[in-house]
Amino acid sequence: MFRWSIGLAGALALAGPMSVMAKPIAFADGYTVMAEYGAGTMKEAQLFYAPRYDFSVGGGHVELDSDQTAKSRRINYARLNYLVHRWNLDDAQANLFAWGGLGSATGNTFSGTLLAENAGAQADYETRRVYASFKTDLQRSSAFSHRIDTLQLGLAPYKHEYGGVATWLLVQGRQYTGGIHRGTESAVLVRLFKGGAWIEAGVTNGGKLQAMAMFNF
Amino acid sequence: MKFLPRVLLSLLLLASASAQAATIEMQVNGLVCAFCAQGIEKQLRKFPATADVIVSLEHKLVAVALKDGQDIPDTELRRALTNAGYTVKAVQRTETPLAELRQRLKQGKS
Repeated sequence: MFRWSIGLAGALALAGPMSVMAKPIAFADGYTVMAEYGAGTMKEAQLFYAPRYDFSVGGGHVELDSDQTAKSRRINYARLNYLVHRWNLDDAQANLFAWGGLGSATGNTFSGTLLAENAGAQADYETRRVYASFKTDLQRSSAFSHRIDTLQLGLAPYKHEYGGVATWLLVQGRQYTGGIHRGTESAVLVRLFKGGAWIEAGVTNGGKLQAMAMFNF
Repeated sequence: MKFLPRVLLSLLLLASASAQAATIEMQVNGLVCAFCAQGIEKQLRKFPATADVIVSLEHKLVAVALKDGQDIPDTELRRALTNAGYTVKAVQRTETPLAELRQRLKQGKS
């Protein structure tokens, strides 16, 4: 699957500019609500408000459950997202985001509630037909360190227009550190969005559901 | 007696000018998704002078219809789009009604 992703990335690079996943900042003076179900190993919900186009504040809750052991984590966090740079091109847009936050964590391999730190970054490139993004997200405490790296590559079968339904077909590769999942978890996804609503769903190479919903308003 | 026709003519011209609301068309870079358009529309509708807004991803075009007798300076429009995260390449004022522009865009003409 990882080889397949690399192959597709190469094909897309040859075909032209590429593009994204859900952005942590949708638009200025806008709210973003997001929920993701990641094949049983990761579940996450977030709410952010962006006072400006280049930063947003909010928080989230993430649950990590190992599919190798009984290890589980429950983390609540407050976070600031920052758009480090945006490239507005003639027919494309590229972004570099970074974020950081603090929260609390509980789990079944340590006792009590620990201070949790969150940091991450996302780079994306998007045209109306092609899309690519890479996201890395770290949750750590004195008792654990989990990083989730996600690569998404997508193609739109047609160019959508504002007000219409956008359709994207994506492949996703995801790696977890810290004993949540061994190897690369891959998935094929269909993404639909219209107006401020976005839903995507698919299946992983392990036959599990991968799904996400996001609303911007 | 000559005074009355002049007044009537002036009133007619005034009514005609105010009925023809101006449209501001902007060429914008970075317009690739519905969320971009949504953010831009939200910013532009905050202007009291805005009557309606069109965003065309295909034509990289953002158009604002102005309310009768009102205006938004170019500098404020550029600032609004920059603050929304986009790059304005050009601003053009036309007398094309927004409905006509919408129809032209639907037919694939810019």
